[in-house]
Amino acid sequence: MKTSIKDKKVSRKEFLKVFVGGVGALTVFNGLFKNSPTKAKGLLSSNDGEGHSWAMVIDQAKCNGCGFCIKACQASNDVSPDTTWTDLYQVSDVGDQEVYLSVPCMHCEHAPCVSVCPVNASYYREDGIVMMDYDKCIGCRYCQVACPYDARSFNWEEFTGENPAVPEWGEPDIERRPRGVPEKCSFCFQKIDRGLLMGLTPGVDSAATPACVNACPPGARIFGDLNDPESNVSQAILNSPSYRLREELGTGPRVYYLPANRGQEDAS
Amino acid sequence: MIARPKMKLNQPINIWFAILSVLIVMGLTSGIIVLVQGLSVTNLTDLIPWGLWIAIDLSSIALAAGAFSFCAAVYLLKLKELEPMARTAAFIGLIGYTMAMMCLFLDIGRPERFWHGFAFWNTHSVLWEVTMCVGLYFSVLLLENLPTIANLSWLKNKWPKLTEKMASVHHYAPYLAVAGLALSMLHQSSLGAMYGVIAARPIWYRPGLAVLFFISAMAGGVAMTTLATLIVGRIKKGVNIKKSSIEKVLKFLGWLLVGYLYLRFWDLFAMTYTYQPGKAEGLKILTSGPLSFNLWFGELLLGTLVPILLLFNSKTRKNEFFQILAVLLVVGGVIAYRWDTNMVGQLIVQKPILNEFAPLYAQYSPSLIEIGVGAGIIAFGLMAFTIGVKYLKVVDHNEGTESSIV
Repeated sequence: MKTSIKDKKVSRKEFLKVFVGGVGALTVFNGLFKNSPTKAKGLLSSNDGEGHSWAMVIDQAKCNGCGFCIKACQASNDVSPDTTWTDLYQVSDVGDQEVYLSVPCMHCEHAPCVSVCPVNASYYREDGIVMMDYDKCIGCRYCQVACPYDARSFNWEEFTGENPAVPEWGEPDIERRPRGVPEKCSFCFQKIDRGLLMGLTPGVDSAATPACVNACPPGARIFGDLNDPESNVSQAILNSPSYRLREELGTGPRVYYLPANRGQEDAS
Repeated sequence: MIARPKMKLNQPINIWFAILSVLIVMGLTSGIIVLVQGLSVTNLTDLIPWGLWIAIDLSSIALAAGAFSFCAAVYLLKLKELEPMARTAAFIGLIGYTMAMMCLFLDIGRPERFWHGFAFWNTHSVLWEVTMCVGLYFSVLLLENLPTIANLSWLKNKWPKLTEKMASVHHYAPYLAVAGLALSMLHQSSLGAMYGVIAARPIWYRPGLAVLFFISAMAGGVAMTTLATLIVGRIKKGVNIKKSSIEKVLKFLGWLLVGYLYLRFWDLFAMTYTYQPGKAEGLKILTSGPLSFNLWFGELLLGTLVPILLLFNSKTRKNEFFQILAVLLVVGGVIAYRWDTNMVGQLIVQKPILNEFAPLYAQYSPSLIEIGVGAGIIAFGLMAFTIGVKYLKVVDHNEGTESSIV
């Protein structure tokens, strides 16, 4: 097929038109699918700085691996003794001190479990908590396959009978999950919500704070609002080196760790 | 005197039906146990939540891909002579998707909520897209099979007008072919992307899986349809198979396999470009670990390379034994690929060691109940196909030309 110069000119013009139009369309398209904006007004806020943005800080220098967090969680959330919502690993030794890593749900800002769930059973709350709708869940376990932190436990069978952690470690304040759905840590949303209604501050008043935080004897766990620059979590992250698990995946965990050996690094 | 030879002829098929019935009863029993007792009767764990049933589900969908491939060839590329094979393929497709849905029904923890995917949309989820596509495509397959089901003689006698209407759906075949092609391209790829999007498991996390799943499904689907056609042509008396059609299909399958092998090698070698914890270990599992026999022999040598040679050599391509062997190997290769892909990402578990998430190895082998359910579902598929062959003439290259006139 012959193409004259004129043809070429027209086609270039048309190409430009299409190109500009395409870029415009893509911009609009991109805007439509953009995730919630990350303009931080608070210290480390990720929800526009409005409302609350809950986070947990776990100090590995203080954690002694006692496992009280697990027991308190099992009682408060009525979790089966075979299941933990906050796994505990002994990871190394620093000097003569054993170092532990407690891994609850990270309540990721970009949670793989939320994006893969085919029925929206995993979803974000305004305050950043990654929630499970146990009535919606079909039990496909895609979230479990997708979670980088193994935070989820599937109810392969129904948890029936007595909860051995009750009443020694606390009283359940949410419903037991049925068979056939995965369950996970919820930052004890029930305590937070009730506490806020009563005018309490989560992370400060124990009635409004996650059970594991309250139960920790050495006080290795801190909970609070990242939107409040004065909160103990904001201050802890500001005043000390911290890291998050598998940060390279871009999940943006809401659980921060203060490394065990930071004191030694400061000294050297 | 006339009845006696008929009885004799029926004997092998009766044994076949008896074996399948036993397996189906076994599968039903296992399935009921699963529904009553829950998934604790499986060997699935929090580390390996997807096992044998997901592999069967993926394989049935892949092997059902002949339906869209042949329908597209006949109604969009106008290869009219393949029309009888498209009929076979569409019927196998209907069975394959039914099998897949049976697997999923038992595999999900809350089977009574199977419909939630259609009610609560998460448009960001690959699995949601797969659910929608599978649901919609199943309806397409039902419509595509209406003219075939209209062949049922007692239905014809009882409701002649209804069967006439059913047969007339055939006029919409080109539109159904377009819908089938679009929906299949979407979900066959997305089944690969389902693994490909999982950043937490680096051995899966790559864009190639979607392409590989689509192409291997096409190869597997075409091979499965050809396999069924050849076996029925050999076993059932009075069935006519067009050798020229089979040969054309096999030549195409050979080239498709060459393309697949190229992409598969590209994908495999490209995985060695970068080191990521979990990826190298996954590759090791694939190339020299527990899945290595499956990969080298099941997928690559027997599943792809040998069939390519058999299909490109004109002597073996024209020999019925080697034809059956070649397509059988392709079917096996596709199943091996689905099994390997599903397992490899889960066998590597990342757990915190020395404050890093480091790879550990997990293990899985299906429980007897899982195997029972799987065998029952496969037996159901074979039974449904046999019934189709016997009463609906789903494999007959004479029958097809007649119905295309209707």
